[in-house]
Amino acid sequence: MNFPIEQAGQNAVVIRVGASLDFRNASDFKAIVQQQVDTGIRRFILDFSETNVLDSTGLGSIFSLHRNLSSSNGHVMFAAASRPVQVVVQLTRTYKVFRQFSSVEAAVQSLE
Amino acid sequence: MPRHSVLIVEDEHTLRRLLSYRLGRQYDVRTAADGKEAIERINEHLPDLIISDILMPRMDGFALQAALQERHDTRVIPFIFLTARTDEDSRRRGQRMGVDDYITKPFDMEQLLSRVDRLLERSDQFRNHLDARIGQDFSQRLMPKTMPRAAGYRSWFHNVPRDHGGGDIFDWIEPRPGTFFITVGDVMGKGLQAKFYAFSFLGFIRSALHTMLDATDSPAELMKRVNQVLVEDPLLEDTFASLLLMRWEPEQHRVTYANAGHCRPALIGPKKVEIVPYSDMILGLDPGAEYTDTTIEIQPGSALVSYTDGLLEQPMASGEQLGEAGVLEAVRHAHGSPQPVDSLVEHVLDISQRRTFGDDILLFWLQRDADREPAALRSGPRWFSPFAEAQGSV
Repeated sequence: MNFPIEQAGQNAVVIRVGASLDFRNASDFKAIVQQQVDTGIRRFILDFSETNVLDSTGLGSIFSLHRNLSSSNGHVMFAAASRPVQVVVQLTRTYKVFRQFSSVEAAVQSLE
Repeated sequence: MPRHSVLIVEDEHTLRRLLSYRLGRQYDVRTAADGKEAIERINEHLPDLIISDILMPRMDGFALQAALQERHDTRVIPFIFLTARTDEDSRRRGQRMGVDDYITKPFDMEQLLSRVDRLLERSDQFRNHLDARIGQDFSQRLMPKTMPRAAGYRSWFHNVPRDHGGGDIFDWIEPRPGTFFITVGDVMGKGLQAKFYAFSFLGFIRSALHTMLDATDSPAELMKRVNQVLVEDPLLEDTFASLLLMRWEPEQHRVTYANAGHCRPALIGPKKVEIVPYSDMILGLDPGAEYTDTTIEIQPGSALVSYTDGLLEQPMASGEQLGEAGVLEAVRHAHGSPQPVDSLVEHVLDISQRRTFGDDILLFWLQRDADREPAALRSGPRWFSPFAEAQGSV
């Protein structure tokens, strides 16, 4: 239900994804990121350090965000992807679209 | 299951807080002080049930109820009137307007809670029943009635859709004698919406194949075009899908495929069972995505096993997902069985956390007959696991 958000510089936020992003909470995630987009946020760092489950509905909600941002030069970054998240990213080959960072700090530094 | 949301419309501050407090233990509660404010709340978020006072400033309960009846998205929301009025006129007027229940103040909180509970249960049942019926209808239409057939080959197919499963698709066509195009895919999302998208998407793929096959035979070319349309067509916005598109030429014993981020098939070769590694980007994300054809020779006794993520993500007794290593193990176990797909499914259920699948399961097993007895293959050299390699190369 809950996705803690922290500001990370100009028009950027870090969102802690938590234990799972799947069909149960994907619509909450969509609503929360939409609020951020509405306030002008264009760069999203998703912290996957605690994530055990990322199913296709969850991934779909991230894809929607990417589509939503692509017209305004925004982007989504993956930080500290756990093993299950890495598997999904590899399988779908989406590392070509979402830049991958080993930690949230590394992703935040890349913003400058 | 997310919590139900209840909207309380009551102008009296104390009562509004009391109701909000008691109902808030079980439901997501939103509140409004009159009908006008209620409509604002409803526009932000459609509640599952509304409890409303009748006498309120600005817009009273009757006017609110009438306004909601005008809208197709709000007219079916269960509505309970809560009022000090005990007179029969209000009660009758409410009933005529389609009010579901009527509680007079002072009221018993337990009684109110049980009525709310019952109304929500009833509307859930109705919706689930309807969803299940439509979902089953889509699922049936999404799956072909017959399987592709060619001399020297056998195939097995397994599909168990679940009510709250996803949008698995499987389809095949034989545009020219001896050339088959087989699609296995998964449209992202869950439940009825995913099934609906899957249904539309499959129709779109079919027409794309029909129109493009005159110009190209390449799964990669077809995939590229499908992806462009998916990214560019507003009708398909927010549709993402993984897709495995295979051209099967049984006389040449060849399968040429392009894989758009779909679960990588398993290949039972003469010496080993392995994951077919090459794949490209999932559909709908990147307008410029490129796809590549890969050709596999199907040796005597070999089989190509494709599947969807319901299998890959099935939770094992260990708590881990089955994964590609588990799929290889299950394929190895099932190979040689007279009904390999049944045997594979049984094996996976045996090692699962629960003896049911958590998601839709779709499996397509295409096998070339052995020149000799399959026993020769089974008693051959011990299999080694190629998974470590496959993992490293993704």
